[in-house]
Amino acid sequence: MTAITRIAREEWRLWLRSKTVVAAALIVVALLTATSVLTVHRIASEQSQRLEQQVAAEQTFFAQPDRHPHRMVHYGHYAFRPPPPLAMFEPGVDAVTGQSIFLEGHRQNTAMFADTKAAADLGGFAALTPAGLYQLLLPLLLIVLGHALFLRERESGTLAVMLAQGQSGVKLALGKATALLVVIAIFMIPLIAVAAYSVSLGESALAAFSLVGGYFAYLCIWGAIVLTASVILKQRAVSLGVLIFIWLFAALIVPRFAINASSVAIDAPGKIESDLVMLAEQRKLGDGHNAADPAFQRLQDQVLKQYDVETIEELPINWRGVVASYSEAELTELLNDYTEKRMGLEASQSRMFEWFGLASPTISVSSLSRALAGTDLATHHRFLRESEVLRFDFVQSLNQAHAEKLDYTTDINRNNDAASAQRARINSASWQVLDEFRFAPDSASKRLGRTALSLGILIMWLLLACVIVLLTARRVRV
Amino acid sequence: MTSPLEARSLSLVREGNTVLDDVSFTVAQGEIFALLGGNGAGKSSTLLTFLGFLEPSGGDILVNGTSVGSDVALARSAIAYLPEAAALYGHMTAYENLDYFLDLADKLASQAEIDAALERVALLVEARSRRLQSYSKGMRQKTAIALALLRETPILLLDEPTSGLDPIAIDEFHDLVKALAEGGQTILMVTHDVYGACQVADRVGLLRRGKLVGSFAAENNKRINTEAVHAAFAEREAV
Ligand SMILES: Nc1ncnc2c1ncn2[C@@H]1O[C@H](COP(=O)(O)OP(=O)(O)OP(=O)(O)O)[C@@H](O)[C@H]1O
Ligand SMILES: [Mg+2]
Repeated sequence: MTAITRIAREEWRLWLRSKTVVAAALIVVALLTATSVLTVHRIASEQSQRLEQQVAAEQTFFAQPDRHPHRMVHYGHYAFRPPPPLAMFEPGVDAVTGQSIFLEGHRQNTAMFADTKAAADLGGFAALTPAGLYQLLLPLLLIVLGHALFLRERESGTLAVMLAQGQSGVKLALGKATALLVVIAIFMIPLIAVAAYSVSLGESALAAFSLVGGYFAYLCIWGAIVLTASVILKQRAVSLGVLIFIWLFAALIVPRFAINASSVAIDAPGKIESDLVMLAEQRKLGDGHNAADPAFQRLQDQVLKQYDVETIEELPINWRGVVASYSEAELTELLNDYTEKRMGLEASQSRMFEWFGLASPTISVSSLSRALAGTDLATHHRFLRESEVLRFDFVQSLNQAHAEKLDYTTDINRNNDAASAQRARINSASWQVLDEFRFAPDSASKRLGRTALSLGILIMWLLLACVIVLLTARRVRV
Repeated sequence: MTSPLEARSLSLVREGNTVLDDVSFTVAQGEIFALLGGNGAGKSSTLLTFLGFLEPSGGDILVNGTSVGSDVALARSAIAYLPEAAALYGHMTAYENLDYFLDLADKLASQAEIDAALERVALLVEARSRRLQSYSKGMRQKTAIALALLRETPILLLDEPTSGLDPIAIDEFHDLVKALAEGGQTILMVTHDVYGACQVADRVGLLRRGKLVGSFAAENNKRINTEAVHAAFAEREAV
């Protein structure tokens, strides 16, 4: 056995013989297991629920009776975003963004069913997630276990004895680091189990185990910070105090500050705010329900010319459907402009937040974690975009049916009496225009690509922390 | 022939205070050199300098003719060091402590050899498998001495080795040190025990406030003159 593994083994002997350490470890393992089991359970039920809801929404839509096509445009449809398998470890932004959206004509609705309200009802406490435990609690436990790792030897005089046996400070530090590494490896077991389970549910192994690797690196950074403090500092209380301060700073203060700073620096208007501005512009486009709106005069000239007729009554297609389709396209372009602008700003905010990783590895690991789990803002944005495509497609298909399958005269006379209304309907077979929507996570390589910045910063932290440990250990004094 | 231990005009500053000032001495192979002096005289600091834990601010310190500063590892591999306070692990038994530190020193010792060493320092058999946190001061000291013996190095640096030992154990320890020197080991020990030092040492050095102020050697196979050393020691307050 080499000196390094021997030192590590003896450290473990000490920990195992100390009842407080064993008790603390057991509590953490219990907490970790309980949280993982609960989250796994919750996400699994949400996942099957959302898929069922999606299928049910499609079937309900298809099952609608013969109707006026525009009533179906307003009957609407739902798009659901089932949580990806790794959400059971890292629910990410899902808790605040909402995972379902009501799709209807002339409108882009906000995602609903967010848990935020539930969290607010509980006094604003966010749910305890496994990812949160890994990001916050485990570094704290490493601090408790390791703050005296090295300086205990100095305090008791055994450091001199160890060095006098011919061991270098670097070897002693590596031995202690190995002991801590084994602790970290044990901490990783619940995450590895969740990762393996998610792979069995269809998650990509690359993404799942990159997540494991990211957290391992993160905890190693903390291990190195803890070890450095215990090498440099001379008193336990000081070491513990300094490390807790670093923890408060890196794990709690900087992330909060980064969120505030990013939203102040890049001012993204809220959905409601931008909706108000948009409404004003929308009025200029004309009301698609009113085919006589002067805003459509140019369209009318163009269409009449195209079909070589004099009046809209002579057109082989339903003029109201043409207007509905035209105005939907115009409106959607405007809506998309605004949405893209807003999502662009939100993406820049989240990018800026990521750069704060330079001040705290906790930020980097949390960004990395969300991106790999597929619960990041980018994934939510993709959900919004894809559901918008779904919305636009079915609305336009219905408008096309309106234009082609419903006679213009029948249509404008639909409000005369009950019989006219009865006539202004089209066959329910036309509802089959709805595309099946199954929101799926990005490919693993795409998700991994999104972690580049955070991963880079995390690796930089790791290298820096290791170099500092070695440099300080080289000049260790008895 | 080079001496195993040599201090050449050694000066040492610790946190701004001059702790050793132009100290020179050599210890020959197989010799027992005892360093006497009052509290804070610089005895322990001298040993730490030989181990490379403290760097001389002037002069040089040599182990087997090589400057410690140029090869600390070489010096440490030639030296077994008994620190001032027996620094071993309370959560381990004597056996576990010895096994661990010998392993760190890359020194293989059989169970029989370990028991033999513990026998030489007279550590009770039933205590050997008990954790050191239940030991008395003397028992801990005995374990630490056993570790120094087991290293089987050519040089021993002992800082107050008899502190905490009972009178019988002290006598036994003196016999042990003499036997080791006769076996060829070089011994530099620090002590407050003037009488004991004069009994066991070949030479006694008197350190006062960082200066070597006197040196007494046994002549004609007789013991060092205890009264003379005592008198020299007592002079310290006169400065
Ligand atoms: N860790 C330290 N840092 C700074 N100065 C120290 C340190 N340890 C000791 N000194 C100073 O060095 C001087 C010599 O101390 P040293 O421990 O060598 O004395 P000593 O002769 O062994 O005394 P004692 O008989 O009490 O063990 C003292 O003045 C002391 O104040
Ligand atoms: Mg001393």
